[in-house]
Amino acid sequence: MRMARPGEPRPVHARLVRWLLFAATLAVLEVCARAGMFDPLALPAPAQILSALLRLARGEEFYTDLGRTMVTVVAAFGIGVVGGLPVGVVFWKLPLLGDVFEPYLVTMYALPTLVFYPILLAVMGLGPAPIITIASVMALIPIALNTMVALRSIPPMLPKLGRSVGCSTAQLYRKVLVPAATPLAVPGLRLGFAYAVIGTVAMEFILAVSGLGFRAGYHYRYFDVPEMYAEVLVIGVLAVLFNALFGVLERRIRRDML
Amino acid sequence: MTARPGSTVVLDHVGVTFAGAGTHTEAVADVTQSVPAGCFVSVIGPSGCGKSTLLDVVGGLLRPSRGRVLVDGTEVTGPRRDTAMVFQEDSTLHWRTVLENVAFGLEVARVPKARRYERAQHFVDLVGLRGFERHRPRQLSGGMKQRVAIARALALEPRLLLMDEPFGALDQQTRMLLAGELLRIWQGTGASVLFVTHDIHEAAYLADQVWVLSHRPAVVKEVVNVDLGRPRPTEVMLEPRFHELTDHLWQLLRVEAQKALAGEARPG
Repeated sequence: MRMARPGEPRPVHARLVRWLLFAATLAVLEVCARAGMFDPLALPAPAQILSALLRLARGEEFYTDLGRTMVTVVAAFGIGVVGGLPVGVVFWKLPLLGDVFEPYLVTMYALPTLVFYPILLAVMGLGPAPIITIASVMALIPIALNTMVALRSIPPMLPKLGRSVGCSTAQLYRKVLVPAATPLAVPGLRLGFAYAVIGTVAMEFILAVSGLGFRAGYHYRYFDVPEMYAEVLVIGVLAVLFNALFGVLERRIRRDML
Repeated sequence: MTARPGSTVVLDHVGVTFAGAGTHTEAVADVTQSVPAGCFVSVIGPSGCGKSTLLDVVGGLLRPSRGRVLVDGTEVTGPRRDTAMVFQEDSTLHWRTVLENVAFGLEVARVPKARRYERAQHFVDLVGLRGFERHRPRQLSGGMKQRVAIARALALEPRLLLMDEPFGALDQQTRMLLAGELLRIWQGTGASVLFVTHDIHEAAYLADQVWVLSHRPAVVKEVVNVDLGRPRPTEVMLEPRFHELTDHLWQLLRVEAQKALAGEARPG
């Protein structure tokens, strides 16, 4: 490797390369698809997917599906946060309780919660309730576990410092514990959100009356493959956007704790 | 900065016993001692003898099992606004800048923003960190982090400063330099100091009196008055009187350190 000399141009930005790679992949897919190298039922050309997306965007149905999926995801994630954070805090505050119940949560983590969907469908009926129930449980677990681990990993010195300068309990949480736990707790939120998306879309795919997952499955079954890919693309873009939002949130939390 | 008088600290038959699962560890046996106002007291003793425990009790972080601590005649029941603590471990908040760390205590005490940053800046300058205000702790050396901790404590303008081996994790040159600076800064404050260390040279150089603690459970074995005068340049460490004092401290400490060592070597 060569050493950089002062005045030399800086190495090309990694972000630029990343985007070029993305564009190049799209171009290769486009060329290969047009050359008939893929089964069009398996992988249509990117341009076809884009035109399917534009077609969908002109109809009303797409927005109903989009709205339904987003409301379900946000509701499931919201329940996961509102339930998961306190559970994590309690497990940290009462280590005995944490030690007793942690294995249960970890086990539920490993369990394919989705298999309970048919049972919940039978109990709750075909609506958003069974989907929100399962997706929120899926979101809650990583949020609770990460919150507990994040709080447990705070060096005892920091709360001791807080107490020595006379922090009230509220100040201790706001100024010391929350910012100290943030770097480990926010990945739990990210994971929880990802699980909420996966749970929602997967169950819509199995059986629902609307939603992007349902629509993608519907188009799949009717061989409207470009439409299906368009819906998958929208779900992917939403997931990426929310993930970026968590990055911003993480930086905000730590800055605003002052 | 006005030199308000330091606090008077009275330890009245203080004892601490830690109760574990089926075990009782007596950390501090029975300490009755006092720190006169504005006095710099070093506390030395063998490792694990309960020096830090004693400091936590005076700081109101730990309730003594027996006896009580009076600061200016009032019993300590929790952390006091006019007492500040500095610890051996890194106590910087790593998401805050140097200036924000120094302002932390003032912020908790709800000092208005403009005033607290002005005051924090003064103490940043005083500990020699000017130019590092916007740095994060991870960009600092161990010695600089301890300067931050000292500035954070001083910014509260405490009348009692409790320092728990603040230079314990630093290299020899850095701790000598910081000890010199601590004396210079302390003399402008008039605060009383309880300074825990296991370094007899540091203890003698800094203090007006040194309390030598016994092996656990701790009692004060002897109080050694340090008659070296002030202001005290680091060259004082070359004087014969300094050597007499440190030799005496070492003789006292050695017996206790040997007991501690024997205690550790005992099986079980």
